[in-house]
Amino acid sequence: MSPSRIVFAVSVGFGFAFLILPLAIVLPLAFNDSTFLNYPMSGVSLRWFDVVLNQPPWLFAMANSFKVAVGAMALSVVTGGLAAMGVMASGRVAALVLSALFVSPLVVPSVVLGVAMFFIFARFGLSGGHLSLILAHSVLGAPLVFLSAMTSLKGLNPELDRAGASMGASRLFRFRTIILPLTAPGFLIGAMFAFITSFDEVVVALFLSSPQSLTLPIALFSGLRDQLEPTLVVVALMLSMISALFLLVVARLQKATEQKA
Amino acid sequence: MAQLEISSIDKFYGATQALFDVSLTVRKGEFVTLLGPSGSGKTTLLKILAGFESVSAGRITLNGRDVTALAPERRNFGLVFQGYALFPHMTVFDNVAYPLRVRRIPRDEIAQRVAEMLDLVQLSRFAQRKPAALSGGQQQRVALARALVFRPDLLLLDEPMSALDKKLRGDLQEQLRDIHRSLGTTFINVTHDQEEAMHMSDTIAIMNHGRIEQAGSAFALYRHPGSRFVAEFVGKSNFLGGRADHSGNQPVFVTGSARIPLAGPGLPPDGTILMIRPEDVVLNPPDAQTNLVRLPAKVLSSTYSGDRALYTLAAEGLPPLLAYGHAREGLHDNGGAVTVGLSGDGAVLLSEGV
Ligand SMILES: Nc1ncnc2c1ncn2[C@@H]1O[C@H](COP(=O)(O)OP(=O)(O)OP(=O)(O)O)[C@@H](O)[C@H]1O
Ligand SMILES: [Mg+2]
Repeated sequence: MSPSRIVFAVSVGFGFAFLILPLAIVLPLAFNDSTFLNYPMSGVSLRWFDVVLNQPPWLFAMANSFKVAVGAMALSVVTGGLAAMGVMASGRVAALVLSALFVSPLVVPSVVLGVAMFFIFARFGLSGGHLSLILAHSVLGAPLVFLSAMTSLKGLNPELDRAGASMGASRLFRFRTIILPLTAPGFLIGAMFAFITSFDEVVVALFLSSPQSLTLPIALFSGLRDQLEPTLVVVALMLSMISALFLLVVARLQKATEQKA
Repeated sequence: MAQLEISSIDKFYGATQALFDVSLTVRKGEFVTLLGPSGSGKTTLLKILAGFESVSAGRITLNGRDVTALAPERRNFGLVFQGYALFPHMTVFDNVAYPLRVRRIPRDEIAQRVAEMLDLVQLSRFAQRKPAALSGGQQQRVALARALVFRPDLLLLDEPMSALDKKLRGDLQEQLRDIHRSLGTTFINVTHDQEEAMHMSDTIAIMNHGRIEQAGSAFALYRHPGSRFVAEFVGKSNFLGGRADHSGNQPVFVTGSARIPLAGPGLPPDGTILMIRPEDVVLNPPDAQTNLVRLPAKVLSSTYSGDRALYTLAAEGLPPLLAYGHAREGLHDNGGAVTVGLSGDGAVLLSEGV
C-alpha cells in the first residue's frame, strides 16, 4: 500500500471509531422498550417517541430552538453576507484587517462570549428572552456565513463583473443579476451552518436561556442530569437527522456551485 | 475625422512603468490592432481604454469629449474578453440581451435585436443553450454578439482568438472582418499574432516595452519599418551590419567584402544596418539584371511550401541569408552552389539601437 492509502485508511478508521461507532451503539436505544439506557434491549417500541412528542419540555424546547435558530440564521446571513461583500470591495490591507475582525468570534471561547453576553443583555434588560439568544447566536453564525460567502465571491471570475460594467450595468444591477445568482449557494451554505450552529449550541445558551426560552440542547443537558431515559436518545436521533439532512443539502449546493463556476 | 484620440498616456503600477507616452489617433470605423510581445503593455492600454485602469498621465477623448476618468459602465464601449466572460447562468439569448436590458429597451425590440445579432454571428440555433454547452469558437461569437448588440462607439477585443486552434482562427478572422465591414464600428484588437494583425487591420500599432514603436498599415510596417524591432516583428527579414558609403557616384552599403548598391533617394545616410526582406534577395539572378551585387553562396536548408521555397543561404562574410525562390522546376539541394543577388531595391537602412 502506498503511504497516502495508509493515511487514508487510518483516518477513515479513526473517524469511524470515534464518530460513527458510538452513534451506532447508542442510537438504537431510542427504540428500547424499557426505561433504561442499556443493552440488551428488552423490546422494540416507539413509546419514547410518543413521550418526546407529547410531554414537556421537549416540544416546547424544540420550538424555542427552531425560532432562535431561524432568527440567528437570518441575522447571520445579513451581517455576514454584507461583511463579505464589503471586504471584497475594499483594498488589500483593509480586507485583511476586516476579515480577521469578522472571523474573530470563531476564536473567542464560547464561555467568554457567554459571560460577556450575559452581562450586556442583563444591563439592557434583554435577559432570558429569545432575542438575546438570537443576537448571541448570530455572533457565532455570522463568521460562518462570512467565510462561506467569501469563498464563493472569491471563486467568481472577476471578469464577469467587468463584463457587466462594460455593458453599462450599474454596480447594483450587476450584483442582482450576476454576482448574487452565481454566489447564492455560498450564502445558502453559510445560512445552513449558522442554523445548525445555533440549533445545537450549548455553552452560550447555558448562560442566556431561561425557562421561557429553554432550548433543546439545554433541555437535553438537564435531562442528562435529572433522569437518564431513552427520551434523550430519541431527541439525539432527531437532532442527528436534521444535521444529516442539512449536510445533504449543503453537498447538493456545493455541487451546484462547482457546476456554475 | 478622428474619433478616438489617445494623448501621451503614462501608466505606473507602483514603481514600475507599464506605458510610456503612448499616443494614437483612431478614425471612426477603423480596425486598429495593438501588436507586441508579451508584457509590452497591450492589455494595460486596453484596460485603460475600457476604464478598468486609471492613467498616471495623459488623456483620452472620444469625439472631442474627455473620457479619461469616465467609469466603465458609462463609456458605451463593447468589450470582448480573452476568456469571453460569458454569464454561465444565462442562456445565449439572455447573455446577448443583457446590455439591452440594462438600457431598459422594450421587450420585443430586445428580442428582435438579439435575433439579428445572433443571425450575424450565425448562432441563432443556439439561442436557448447555456454557454457551457458551446464550443470555444461559438462562445467567442456569443461574446462578440453581446459586445456589439448595444451599438457601442468602440469595440475592444483582448486576444479574442488566442484560445482557438489555427483553422478556426482563420475562419473567425474572416467573420470578424466581415462584421466590421458591415457594422462600421471602430474596432481595437489586441494580439501577439502578427499574421492575424496583418490580415485584419487597417492600422497596426506595434508595442514594445510600453511604447508604441510604430503605427501604420501592414504595408507601411512591412516595407518601411522604422526600427529593427518592427522589421523583426512583422514578417521575416535579413539584417546586414555595415556602413553606407556615399563617396562614389553610386551610393553603396559596405558589408563584409560585399558592396551592395543602394537604390534611389530617401535612404537615411547614416544607417548601420541594411534590412532586406527574403523576397528581395534574388536567387541566381539573370545576367541582364544590373544594379545588384552577385555573391557565390551555398544552400544550408530549405522549407518548401508549394507556392515557393524559403532557403537559408551561406555567403562568405555575411550572416545566413533568408531568400524566397520559386520552386516550379524543383528545389536546390542542400549544399548546392547558387548565386545570390543583393540590391538596395526594397531594402531599408536602419540605425542600431532604435
Ligand atoms: N496590476 C499590475 N501590477 C503591476 N504590474 C502590472 C500589472 N499589470 C500589468 N503589469 C505590468 O505591466 C506590463 C505590461 O503588461 P500587459 O499585461 O499590458 O502586457 P501585454 O502586452 O498584455 O502582455 P501579454 O501579451 O502577455 O498579455 C508588464 O510588465 C506587467 O508585468
Ligand atoms: Mg495581455
